[in-house]
Amino acid sequence: MKKRLYLELENCIGCRSCLAACTQCGGHEERNRNYVYDVNPLVNRQTMPLMCLHCVNPACARSCPAQAIQIHETGAVLSALVEKCIGCQNCTIACPYGIPKFDTEQNLMYKCDLCIDRSKDGIPPMCASVCPSNTLQWLTDEEIEAKQKQFNLDNGKWVTSMPYLEGETNVRVNLPGILQGVTKLF
Amino acid sequence: MQKVEYRNERDKFFKEIENLQHPNETLVKTHCSYCGMQCGMNLRVNTKTNKIIGVEPRYDWPVTVGKMCPKGVTAYQQTNHKDRILKPLIRDDASLKGTKEGFREASWEEAYDLIAKKFTELQQEYGKDTLSVFSGVSMTNEKCYLTGKFARVAMQTRYIDYNGRFCMSSAAGGFLRSFGVDRGSTLPWTDIHETDCLFIAGSNTAECHPTSMFRVWNVQERGGYIIVVDPRETPIARRADLHLDLRPGTDLALANGIVNLLIQKGYADEEFINKHTNGFEETKELVKEFTPEYTSQITGVAPEKIIRAAEIYGKAPNAVVMFARGIEQQHKGVDNVSGYTNMALVTGKIGRPKAGVATFTGQGNGQGGREHGQKSDLLPGYRKLTNPKHVEEVCQVWGITPEEMPQPGVSAYEMFELMDQKTIRGLYLLCSNPAVSAPNLNFVRKAMKGLDFMVCADFYLSESAEFADVILPSVTWSEDEGTVTNIEGRIIKINKAQEPLGESKPDWQIQAELAERLGRGKYFSHLKTARDVADEFRLASKGGYADYYGATWDKIEKQDGVFWPCKDENDPGTPHMFLDKKFYHPDGKAKICALPYRPPAEEPNEEYPLRLTTGRVVFHYLSGNQTRRIQFLHDMCPEPYVEVHPETAAKYNIEHEERVRLFTRRGEAVYKVKITEAIRKDTVFVPYHFGHDQSINLLTIAALDPISRMPEFKACAAQIEKLELKKVQ
Repeated sequence: MKKRLYLELENCIGCRSCLAACTQCGGHEERNRNYVYDVNPLVNRQTMPLMCLHCVNPACARSCPAQAIQIHETGAVLSALVEKCIGCQNCTIACPYGIPKFDTEQNLMYKCDLCIDRSKDGIPPMCASVCPSNTLQWLTDEEIEAKQKQFNLDNGKWVTSMPYLEGETNVRVNLPGILQGVTKLF
Repeated sequence: MQKVEYRNERDKFFKEIENLQHPNETLVKTHCSYCGMQCGMNLRVNTKTNKIIGVEPRYDWPVTVGKMCPKGVTAYQQTNHKDRILKPLIRDDASLKGTKEGFREASWEEAYDLIAKKFTELQQEYGKDTLSVFSGVSMTNEKCYLTGKFARVAMQTRYIDYNGRFCMSSAAGGFLRSFGVDRGSTLPWTDIHETDCLFIAGSNTAECHPTSMFRVWNVQERGGYIIVVDPRETPIARRADLHLDLRPGTDLALANGIVNLLIQKGYADEEFINKHTNGFEETKELVKEFTPEYTSQITGVAPEKIIRAAEIYGKAPNAVVMFARGIEQQHKGVDNVSGYTNMALVTGKIGRPKAGVATFTGQGNGQGGREHGQKSDLLPGYRKLTNPKHVEEVCQVWGITPEEMPQPGVSAYEMFELMDQKTIRGLYLLCSNPAVSAPNLNFVRKAMKGLDFMVCADFYLSESAEFADVILPSVTWSEDEGTVTNIEGRIIKINKAQEPLGESKPDWQIQAELAERLGRGKYFSHLKTARDVADEFRLASKGGYADYYGATWDKIEKQDGVFWPCKDENDPGTPHMFLDKKFYHPDGKAKICALPYRPPAEEPNEEYPLRLTTGRVVFHYLSGNQTRRIQFLHDMCPEPYVEVHPETAAKYNIEHEERVRLFTRRGEAVYKVKITEAIRKDTVFVPYHFGHDQSINLLTIAALDPISRMPEFKACAAQIEKLELKKVQ
């Protein structure tokens, strides 16, 4: 059963476990490929992860003159192929979310590949495996649909894969507001 | 005969997921080396080099289902770290004590000979009790147990205590007084997300026990409530339904105020109180004074917030009161624990699933390590040294006579006082780094420096090891096996993933070999493996109320852990405490405690107008001896800082990232300022994981709780000075 990375931004506690875990994926050369931001550090402790959303029509791949960025059959937008990447950094500029990172020593772009050696076999990526707060989850479409129903605020702004952000994405993001629709028990 | 197969609960978060298996690797199932969560993890071991090379989530562990914090993810990097001590080290020049300098590599033989000679000489001249053992609970039950026996049987001294005095001893004292038993959580963690209200006091849960958070957040998703009591708006407080932002050190007033409201507003469960508790009338009388207004005056929390908190907790069908070091590391820590526990006892929200009381255990084995005889007055199975029957029982297992059993000693901090007074002249330190973690460090470091002879067993050269004459290389958690008792009171199994690096040895082996050198070999020579120690330890705990006898390694494996008490092989253990509403006091009743309020030992004044409080960050563990060496964790938090509210910063004319001098009556340090609105204006916060001149414990106060002997790390009076100002003058 196909599973997707699903993000509930409101759960983030800023522990950076996702980044630590990213370095532990066998294919990641011990470099983390995503981001966690302090939203307003002088004011409060709010944090949020910024993960590759694995666009269905990814700007990084479209912008690559060398066709170094391949899209896996699962929809994962892979890291640049070492033998093809020419180090032009077009992808880092093209990505609307600023995801691809660049290794100046190797002259090579690298990015999240959803731990493809895991996710191709349905094993959750390292980040979603370890995330202590369930900000990052690995769910089936049915589970995501149930979430959508649960959090539906009838404003149509639920996931990034709708036209409100940059285009359809394989990763689903729940914009802040998961608790707005919750009815208190008492 | 077919035994009934029992297994502890796997809840809705549990998913069947197969692990990724790389070629030429095996996965060793175990748990994290750090906090009381004891998250399940698999260590990846290269089958050609037989070395640990990485980590893989352990999806099949029902408590944490694969989740790990950044410390857990990188924990494996400790084992083959370049800083490991690989051979015994001896320092001949005592004038270099307090530095890293002057150590030379030596053989185990030479190190043991020197230790035996020095210890024997000291004891001949100054008596048996001139030696001491200072231990810790970030190690297996087997090691904790044997350390108690080692001190009393091999070193024959009364002076043994441990770092739990800086960690869990107030929780222990409070639970013993309220319930007559000290199990950190009355319910399993798989209940947490199913309750209707979490009342969390003095716990920065998101940073200190991160893998509890998916369950904590789920309470809100289900429509339940989270109430957080903390001087800082921690990540959990930020999203809580109610944040009671109290002044550090005023918890007991808040607890009394809420208990008063619970009684006044009719939330008391009279039937439960009458049948199952003592002390209600007296408490009711005492808390009357704590009206919302009076409570607000003391705590600084708005009266309407206090009223709302009592209303939510009172109305909740099920609720769990949780707390941690924020309330416990005070000189009234035991009273704070009993005070908050009163909330559960007055409303009867205990002794059933999804309701109860829990403390967030700080150290990996903070629970098990305090039960089996490392504490100055305790013996295995939570037996008491002052109870002749208990002493008799343990003597039978150890093969000594009751006359040979040393008397109770003193608490951790008090041992340093005795070192200063030369009552104690020798120290065997293991599994702890008091040169960073003890309060009032200028005094503690001086006491350690003044010792005639000090041995330190550790796998890194800690700040405390810098005071040692001999350092013995011990192993990391992944190079030995044994059991640990986690935050829930669940006994779990730590497995060995690689052979000890270099010449390092597990502490139990070091102690058994050293006992031989001290002429006490006959009491230890049968302990050849960790399992041998485990078998003796289970027997020694048998009949005590922390009874581990039935918790065999096989059963732990089969059942996903065993909750104590577990008396025999057919007993599956006790996930929920008090389901029969029987508490452990002789009359079977719990005690509702009438607790008069006391302010912190040191209140702010004109000279020291700020309240200083300390705590952890998510990237470091305890004194930081382990985590500061891990690259990722170091990169994320390389140095301490002082959190200051912007209005307070404006008063001092200091800016974000500026370095300032922070000082108290006991000491000073220079910290980078971190401006944040997420702290009270009258309070500053510094994390305590850092050594040498960065240690905030140079400033903290050694005011001890009268029962638990816990120092008041969480509240003292401080002042900030702008550095340039001093230069100009």
